[in-house]
Amino acid sequence: MRKILPHCLGAAALLVCATGAVADDPNLSGLAATCNNCHGVGGVSAGSSMASLAGQNRAYLEMVMLQWKSGERFSTTMGRLLGGYTEDQIKSLAAYYAEKPWTPAAQELDPKLVRQGGFVLDRCSGCHGKTGGETKTEDTPRLDGQWVRHIDLELAKYRDGTLALPNQKMADNAHKLKEKEVAAIAAFFASQSGEKAETKSK
Amino acid sequence: MNTINRRKFIQALAAAPLASVLTVPTSALAAKKKAKQVVVVGGGFAGATAAKYVQMLDPSIKVTLIEPLKTYTSCPLSNEVVTHHRTIESLQIGYEGLTKRGVEVLHDTVTAIDPAKKSVKTQGGKTLGYDAVVVAPGVEFDFTGVEGYSQEVSEKIPHAYKGAEQTLLLRQQLEGLPDGGVFVIVVPKAPIRCPPGPYERAAQVAYYCLNHGKPKSKVLILDSNDSFAKKALFEQSWEKLYPGMIEWVAGSAGGTVERIDAESRTAATAFDEHKADVLNFIPRHTAGGIAKAAGLTNEAGWCDVVPLTMESAVHKGVYVVGDACKGGTPEFPMPKSAHMGMTQAKVAAGAIVASLNGLAPPVPYYANTCYSLAAPDYGFSVVQVYRVDDNQFVYVKEAGGVSPVDAPAIQRKLEAQYADGWFHNVMADAFT
Ligand SMILES: Cc1cc2nc3c(=O)[nH]c(=O)nc-3n(C[C@H](O)[C@H](O)[C@H](O)COP(=O)(O)OP(=O)(O)OC[C@H]3O[C@@H](n4cnc5c(N)ncnc54)[C@H](O)[C@@H]3O)c2cc1C
Ligand code: HEC
Ligand code: HEC
Repeated sequence: MRKILPHCLGAAALLVCATGAVADDPNLSGLAATCNNCHGVGGVSAGSSMASLAGQNRAYLEMVMLQWKSGERFSTTMGRLLGGYTEDQIKSLAAYYAEKPWTPAAQELDPKLVRQGGFVLDRCSGCHGKTGGETKTEDTPRLDGQWVRHIDLELAKYRDGTLALPNQKMADNAHKLKEKEVAAIAAFFASQSGEKAETKSK
Repeated sequence: MNTINRRKFIQALAAAPLASVLTVPTSALAAKKKAKQVVVVGGGFAGATAAKYVQMLDPSIKVTLIEPLKTYTSCPLSNEVVTHHRTIESLQIGYEGLTKRGVEVLHDTVTAIDPAKKSVKTQGGKTLGYDAVVVAPGVEFDFTGVEGYSQEVSEKIPHAYKGAEQTLLLRQQLEGLPDGGVFVIVVPKAPIRCPPGPYERAAQVAYYCLNHGKPKSKVLILDSNDSFAKKALFEQSWEKLYPGMIEWVAGSAGGTVERIDAESRTAATAFDEHKADVLNFIPRHTAGGIAKAAGLTNEAGWCDVVPLTMESAVHKGVYVVGDACKGGTPEFPMPKSAHMGMTQAKVAAGAIVASLNGLAPPVPYYANTCYSLAAPDYGFSVVQVYRVDDNQFVYVKEAGGVSPVDAPAIQRKLEAQYADGWFHNVMADAFT
């Protein structure tokens, strides 16, 4: 997100604004820097259990974070962190990460699983798209090139059945998967290289 | 990937409400002057992060990181090296990533810091001038106070609280533990780095014993303190996973060790003598020696800092980050962890870049998370978020806390996975 700085008041500051500065809020990048510890530099995760945030759909990022802050969504960690930040800060963070380019994870995947995943795809593509990148709505997350371990863990959460996860449709779809299909579809989406990225990050 | 565009960062800082517009020098934007120098002392999680973020926020600054070791070994997850679940190599990383970013890495030891002359001296005979210096030497062990323990004895009775050799020595001794043997962990008075570390170690050792033909062994924790981090969660995990194997003795119940005998591996309290098969003695900590030598420490041996910037409360232009800072006591709980040290380093980096460009510092953000692993698939955590109010660190009550004791079963599994993801990200965030 680009913000026109609201602070362009006063003679000296005019100098800054006169250069045409539309700038990221330095106070926002400072806050986002605390996320790097777990989600990677600039939201590109280097740890396979943690989601990459950079380039994820803005509405999805915002929705899950607000649900964590309000406590209506299960989390192990995020709820306890976001209690410390305002809704405005959360919305700004969602926009900050969504603006960055989507970077598919470099990961080794079992080609057999990837192929098998192709047979499950029909049950997911209506919402997530053929590669996981052409999402139907903005609050559906893209999955193309996301870390496979993260996708596995998210599916395990939906399938657990005891956790507070507001989206019943997604939970139902996850439940219908057979054990073997879980790993297969996760590998399939993880193997996609973020085709949509080029067109989207413009 | 370069996440923050320097020009944007500085322009935005200049226009941020905190900055007095009158103090914005035009040169801050022109940036055509002799390169400013930032020296970072110590290349652990905190120092490496500080060097990287200063370099990233303002590539016109010349950043030199001084660190004697060519390979850094993470302490986080080292308890899993003791139990053979991870290799020591998987916790190691070099400094090439920082070099590639343009940080100059000097493998040397800083012997003196002169805040008046703004220079540091190294063992190798170099003198480096600086505009700002970051001091991040971690902790040093205090070998006094307990009879029979010394630096030399630590080569036989390991602390395994710093450095690869110590971790490997403890692992070797655990391998030799007989079934039915006693593994004693001696915990010093707080503050220590990674406050949950000793209790995580107890669980990991029990896990190893159960799975390596030593199920009759015991872990005894002799503690100088009366409570510990995530106590309810640890006790729950001990009872559930290792019933009857782990015993904890509080300081007030006779846990304070006063004397050890290395020869017979005995730890003595005011009440009892405990004979160990493996004795793991963790000494008291103070800030790394160079912090003291530079006059940065308080009576308790730690560095006081200005919360807005992490600048030393004693010397201007000197910033202290990581374990060397005050923290980790009941009165001032900001813990000594890699995660905390890295967020402190990012605050310091922002403040330094602002200051060297003649601007007021950005809003500081402090948050911590420490994962603990009671078994490879059993994790839990503590989260803290801090705010700065009135030049004080304030714990944000609306956030933070520990994983619930009555969490759904899947949570422990998930958190064990997240601990691993966290680890890979902090290594990448600090060193690449
Ligand atoms: C068993 C164990 C488990 C842990 N688990 C976790 C965990 O799960 N999560 C977590 O967040 N934290 C954990 N920690 C804590 C973590 O290791 C420390 O908080 C962290 O290393 C602090 O970083 P630092 O940069 O301040 O110090 P260090 O990492 O100790 O680095 C200091 C560096 O400075 C160098 N140095 C010292 N003096 C000089 C000098 N004079 N000149 C030049 N260089 C110098 C040293 O060589 C060293 O490389 C754990 C610690 C232990 C012991
Ligand atoms: C201590 C580690 C940690 C830190 C720091 C952290 N996160 Fe997370 N994040 C997690 C974990 C773990 C999850 C999975 C949900 C859960 O169980 O909490 C997650 C999930 C997320 C997700 C959902 C991603 C997806 O695709 O499902 C978003 C969005 C997110 N975090 C944003 C942030 C932001 C923004 C910050 C910084 C303010 C941040 N996180 C800091 C650990 C962390
Ligand atoms: C009806 C539309 C729909 C269908 C069909 C669907 N999803 Fe989803 N999916 C969503 C939405 C919406 C979300 C975000 C839901 C939430 O709030 O929990 C989501 C979330 C996810 C996530 C979490 C991603 C993250 O980063 O946390 C994964 C993984 C996922 N879906 C996989 C799948 C798979 C695999 C299938 C096919 C078996 C599938 N989905 C079918 C709508 C759908």
